[in-house]
Amino acid sequence: MAAAATCGAGVLSSGCVASTAGRSSTTSFQRRSKASGADGGGPRLLSIAGTRPSVRNGQLLVSTGLPALDQLLGGGLAVGTVLLIEEDKYSIYSPLLFKYFLAEGIVNGHTLLVASAKEKPADILQELPAPLLDDNGKKELEDVHNSKTPESDVNMKIAWRYQLQPKMQVGPVSSSRFGHYYDVSKRIPQELLGSSKWHGFFLPEHITSDLKGEPCSLSGDYMKLLQFIQNIIYTEGFDGSNPQKKQKNILRIGIQNFGSPFWGDDICCTENSDNSHRLTKFFYVLRGLLRTSLSACIITMPTHLIQNKAITARVRNLSDTVVGLESFIGSEKETNSLYKDYHGLIHIRKIPRLNNLTCDESDVKDLAFKLKRKLFTIEFLTEAAAH
Amino acid sequence: MLDSLLAVGGLVLLRDSVECEGRSLLKALIKKSALRGEQIHVLGCEVSEEEFREGFGPDINSRVVYHDLFKDPLNWSKSGEAVPEGPLGTLRTLCRRTDPGPVTIALDSVSWLLFHLPCITLCKTLHALSQPSVSSGADSLVDQVRVLGLLHEELHGPGPMGALSTLAQTEVTVSGKMGQTSASILYRRPQQRATYQTWWFSILPDLSVDLREKLPLHSELHPDPHTTQVDPTTDLTFNLHLSKKEREARDSLTLPFQFSSEKQQALLRRGPGQTTSHIFYEPDAFDDVDQEDPDDDLDI
Repeated sequence: MAAAATCGAGVLSSGCVASTAGRSSTTSFQRRSKASGADGGGPRLLSIAGTRPSVRNGQLLVSTGLPALDQLLGGGLAVGTVLLIEEDKYSIYSPLLFKYFLAEGIVNGHTLLVASAKEKPADILQELPAPLLDDNGKKELEDVHNSKTPESDVNMKIAWRYQLQPKMQVGPVSSSRFGHYYDVSKRIPQELLGSSKWHGFFLPEHITSDLKGEPCSLSGDYMKLLQFIQNIIYTEGFDGSNPQKKQKNILRIGIQNFGSPFWGDDICCTENSDNSHRLTKFFYVLRGLLRTSLSACIITMPTHLIQNKAITARVRNLSDTVVGLESFIGSEKETNSLYKDYHGLIHIRKIPRLNNLTCDESDVKDLAFKLKRKLFTIEFLTEAAAH
Repeated sequence: MLDSLLAVGGLVLLRDSVECEGRSLLKALIKKSALRGEQIHVLGCEVSEEEFREGFGPDINSRVVYHDLFKDPLNWSKSGEAVPEGPLGTLRTLCRRTDPGPVTIALDSVSWLLFHLPCITLCKTLHALSQPSVSSGADSLVDQVRVLGLLHEELHGPGPMGALSTLAQTEVTVSGKMGQTSASILYRRPQQRATYQTWWFSILPDLSVDLREKLPLHSELHPDPHTTQVDPTTDLTFNLHLSKKEREARDSLTLPFQFSSEKQQALLRRGPGQTTSHIFYEPDAFDDVDQEDPDDDLDI
């Protein structure tokens, strides 16, 4: 898959000859990096770190943090879309996917927006898994985080006409690997966290309750979150509104445990909820916000608790990519010999068709996951001797 | 069993039913944690205080702080004995307590609270209650808070039950069969896998637990399926096995596309007619390719 992507990118751009001088700045010939965008322009247009165009339709993709899941979703998560993760019954594995997404954002230098009603965003970020980097990756990571663009403001004396030329990128801007591996047993190093940019939305800090302690406008919680997201997108220029921004970046939004009682929503408690439209309205407005900005969103939702199946169907329709997790703990499948090596099943319920007539759905529907001590792996279920 | 239940803080949900009540297990847990020296707060809603306190020795009774919501839940008597602020106020006060040391809070029943409070408020309050509090001492220890909640399974629909289950760190389902009581415990620690255990036990009058045995997972519910492996090649209409002769014949067969040395020699020695290929090009009337200047027809 990666080889096909590079071929695709090579066809679009003119393959340049590697100059013998290597990385010297006097030559304008340069090896086109693998992660360059599909613009086809000159080497002046910097690609956004951590993204790559899709092989099928050129859509800009970001990694979800799990290369296996990227492959199942057709290369990655498209920028401007929502990934909905339907949580497993005891909510053990879905926080892991959530953390993978955020950790991938930190490794690539994206801006994060973490919203939660149960845990503080700072605590969530402390628990992110540590990336497994080889030596090249470590060097690139340092380049990305330490020196963004070393502005050489040396005034050239003799060749002063060359000052007007735009600066050539010396090395690859983006870490050339799309999708990293993480070690779940270790925590992300503090210096990586410290150099990353993130915004947190912790619901109890934003709601105003009156003296009696009853939650007053229940619809206010979702609206506040939407306003927060919109504010961040606007002030930081992810929607192109701020033309002074020199380097484009992706905003990764993560909303945890959405629709649970902690968000003030009673769809998990009752079947005939009065305000069942608040959730769907939120999804609708969120999708509009995301489509007009360079951002990608992951939402984990305990859909097994939603009593009204119509709401589940609506939420799935309003999200772009839907992945469901089903863990075997406590169910009768745990003793089934077919499933004994795995911890649960993954159901890819929906893959979006963005600017396209077809989507990249895999033929095999039996996918199982396993959480080893360090890695989270997704595999096809092999039909073993069990009949 | 009780030690493992009391080991981790957070919310412990005891689910019982009409066939088998869970209050005695709740009292056994209270007794165990009181013997460890913890402070106990009990929010009694379903039974009277005297009935709850029977079975506890005097040392334990002195450690138990009882908030009585049974006698006068709607605060009609206004005599100052009842708790004035109601269940929600009591829970909020418990959230804001400032005494140091580990605390166990027993809710006599969460079902009663679910009927009197909206589910969302109760979930949020229980979550706030079971958060470990940081004591304001110099070493800033994190005090463990344990909330033991008794929940009657049959009274609630799947919605509130599911919502409360997601809050709980440990869930104990008490069920009884022919005079024996069993507890199925689901441990849900953060960052770890969830584990299941099943214990058979009985509670003695002095509220100590007599454990019978610990059962492996699901063994009495799902008997082992027959482990005879079915051979898939028994009833086929075609033959899947090879005899020795057939195997030899198969191995000695040369494949058509195998690049043997004979073929290689044949290709190297080219026949007289097999020279390199030519392209024959006949220019037609519209072509005017000039051999000297190939760009002659460009219109610049």
